[in-house]
Amino acid sequence: MKFKPANVSVPEIDMTPMIDIVFQLITFFMVITNFDQNEADERVTLPRDQLAKPPMAVRKNSFMLNFGYDIDSTGKRKSEIPYLFFGDEKATLEQVRPRLQQESQFYKTIGTKYEDVTVEIRADARVPAGMVQELIQMCQEDKIQFQRFALKATQKAEP
Amino acid sequence: MKLRNRASGSRIAVDMTPMIDVVFQLLIFFMCTLKMIEPEGDFDISMPLGAPMADSVTDAELPPFKVRMEADANGELVNLSFNGENLGGGLGAISSLNSKVFRSITALQAIGSDQLEKQEVEIDPDYNLNYRYIINAIGACSGRVGQNGVHIPYLQRIKFAPIRQKQ
Repeated sequence: MKFKPANVSVPEIDMTPMIDIVFQLITFFMVITNFDQNEADERVTLPRDQLAKPPMAVRKNSFMLNFGYDIDSTGKRKSEIPYLFFGDEKATLEQVRPRLQQESQFYKTIGTKYEDVTVEIRADARVPAGMVQELIQMCQEDKIQFQRFALKATQKAEP
Repeated sequence: MKLRNRASGSRIAVDMTPMIDVVFQLLIFFMCTLKMIEPEGDFDISMPLGAPMADSVTDAELPPFKVRMEADANGELVNLSFNGENLGGGLGAISSLNSKVFRSITALQAIGSDQLEKQEVEIDPDYNLNYRYIINAIGACSGRVGQNGVHIPYLQRIKFAPIRQKQ
């Protein structure tokens, strides 16, 4: 039996609508991606308050302290001791002093006044209040001397 | 002068493949890096904690409003008092605190509007109180949300009392 030769002409597909949609999607993801909050640690569940407002202007000199509990994949607390998270590393309240001193030394070296540096505290809603107070007190010690603090909260009313 | 008929030229086929490749790479990148984070705000605490520092001169003429917060063994708020007046426990006490602060600032405004800016609030929690109640109390002292979501500010100077001992 004799077959017909295969048709070599490629059917033309109109790509325009697909490209339109893909560009729309890219624009959407670019707009909603927030690179500023990369310092925020996912393990910390912030307390909620309607009145917590974002700062009027971007703070030039600030650093963030994430203070929360180590959790497993299901979201359960691994231990009752809260930790300060620095990326993959973590430290207890007692162990964090050298890091704060380093941070303080850094601002001193670059010539920034301590009153211009804001310490942003992202503490978990379940952390004992006394520990947050101890952390603030530690930030005010002689070798550290930070003076401005901002307590972070999610902008939502309590359920 | 006679112009050539441009429309008659054959259409140049543009190869879209590399562009589509790059565009898809970008799309996948943005999709993967997307983290859904709820909007965060903060409260400024610019006052030193508890023990006054030698060089911190306060211009407040009136004593600070005292907010005492007592906790049970689980860290829940069982008793909140504002200037010695008991307001009960739980989130109900927080809204009572908000209305008490409003009454107090109305009285302050009668004395003079600059008093309001100078007035301090001192928060004195038990050591094991859950931190969320602190944020709630700071929120209740700093203002309220009025109609149409407008923020009505009350007091801005908030500080902590010295740390209480663990129970």
